[in-house]
Amino acid sequence: MRAFAFSSEPLDPQRHRAELADPASGGYASFEGWVRDHNEGRRVERLEYEAFEALAIKEGERIVADAVARFGVSRAACVHRVGSLGIGDLAVWVGVSSAHRGEAFAACRYIIDEVKHRVPIWKKEHYTDGDSGWVNCERCAAAAHDHDHAHLPVGSGRDFEHDYSRQVALPEVGAAGQAKLAAASVLVVGAGGLGVPVLQYLVAAGVGRIGILDGDHVEASNLHRQPLYGIADIGRAKAEAAAERLAALNRDAQVDAIAAHATRENIDELVAGYDLVVECTDNFRAKFLVNDAVVRAGTPAVFASVHQYEGQLQVYRPEPAWPCLRCLWPAAPRDGLVGNCAEAGVLGPVPATLGAMQAMQALQLILGLHAGSGPVLVMVDLLTLETRRVSARRDPDCSHVPGAAADAPDAAPIELEFGTLAAAVEAGLELVDIREAWECDLDPPSASTLLHLPLSDLVNGRAQFPAQGRYLVICAHGVRSLSLTEHLRSLGQPEVYSLRGGLAALRCRGAQ
Amino acid sequence: MIDVHVQYFAVLRERAGLSRETVATAAATAAELYEELATRHPFNLPRSMLRVAINDEFADWSRQLGTGDRIVFIPPVAGG
Repeated sequence: MRAFAFSSEPLDPQRHRAELADPASGGYASFEGWVRDHNEGRRVERLEYEAFEALAIKEGERIVADAVARFGVSRAACVHRVGSLGIGDLAVWVGVSSAHRGEAFAACRYIIDEVKHRVPIWKKEHYTDGDSGWVNCERCAAAAHDHDHAHLPVGSGRDFEHDYSRQVALPEVGAAGQAKLAAASVLVVGAGGLGVPVLQYLVAAGVGRIGILDGDHVEASNLHRQPLYGIADIGRAKAEAAAERLAALNRDAQVDAIAAHATRENIDELVAGYDLVVECTDNFRAKFLVNDAVVRAGTPAVFASVHQYEGQLQVYRPEPAWPCLRCLWPAAPRDGLVGNCAEAGVLGPVPATLGAMQAMQALQLILGLHAGSGPVLVMVDLLTLETRRVSARRDPDCSHVPGAAADAPDAAPIELEFGTLAAAVEAGLELVDIREAWECDLDPPSASTLLHLPLSDLVNGRAQFPAQGRYLVICAHGVRSLSLTEHLRSLGQPEVYSLRGGLAALRCRGAQ
Repeated sequence: MIDVHVQYFAVLRERAGLSRETVATAAATAAELYEELATRHPFNLPRSMLRVAINDEFADWSRQLGTGDRIVFIPPVAGG
């Protein structure tokens, strides 16, 4: 059977249908176009179809081949009548057989829409008043064609069924594993360079519920390493932009967009709502916050971090031998000391590789695919392609219960929120901008800024933070400023605050 | 004097300007070795903030060094 054909004889759907039979197909969808008795307000008696067959068959075959490739169906075909047809006669038939119904329906719809739009077929309508007229189907289609989905991605039909066959084929996964994934819930903290591949692979794999916790907005400087987002997303809440993109990838997943930063106030409740946490933030403050929460909750977690061309990965399991983040790093490091992506620079595939490794570990935890290795810190150097696994043990001195100063409740709030910097000055605060010089070149400090003290100078002892006074510490996103403020508080300086969300939040609030 | 193989990661690699070296040292422990190397490389991290792995296992800073040990100084990393 040809993929596309013309027939001057009446069409026989039963015969065409039989030719699509395929042992790998679980279903068949078809469309029949019939001659109706009216068009544009005029009564129609009969029709004549004519086609430029040589050209039309080539175009028709292309459409059917496109549909098979786009939707991954088993077989598809289309037959169009030519000649004279009466009311109720079958004018066109499309049939698709496929493993699953979703693709069959979608491919069938695609073929008929494209045939009506692209194939050079003319229709002569004979009206009951004796008049007649030729209608070029291509042009009539262009004027008011029913073509709403053909340019949308494959599977945009509501009945598309996600196909997990390539992972279910793994003996360790199978239908039981797929059911485990569907029943699982994962909280991804941070939707940046690490979080983007984690989210994409977990959603694609059919994890049933995924929380995206991220209080940042998409920035132009994110796109090189976070290609889930597009130019049009710049300025949008990351959690929401990510949730929207992910919904287009797999509708099986329930995606909870939580457009907030992890805080001491919200983290325990959030962690409690999920089976597993994947930690993808870019700062120690959040990493330890998440670590302490998963230890308290007894929730497994996958941590990763990158620095330039290198990354580190650690899995935490709530079992006696497994170390937490604090076991490995008992002296909770301060942000600003070892660089982040803004200060140190990063190439996209570095967090992408570590993020993909985190996604793999998350799937292993859900599926119970333990490779038998004990707890390790994995270090990857993407420049040299060296991977090093360092065996790690739980530190008997680590209480596994957070007791660090950063976790003690503060008497005074440590972060303050303002609509403008002028409002902070009016509130009696002196502004200290701790961004690096190059950041200030791109985005100069406010005129009301008292001091510019780059964090790198403070860390290296090239500059001193003033001891007396009431200060608001400012950086780009409020992460470094919060870290420095916590450090200054721990040194006994009471009247120092961090601008919540940094200058980025100020801009967003200003824009609202 | 013993020969040990030292590897640096992340900010230590940047500061040292190399990712690995073989060092002849009189240091008895990992801690002494780091203090010795810190006089040759402009390391900005205090030892308390690092971890050391000897022959692919996390080790105490007081661990005695032996000839041919593979020593890795690991700083914490935060980017994402």
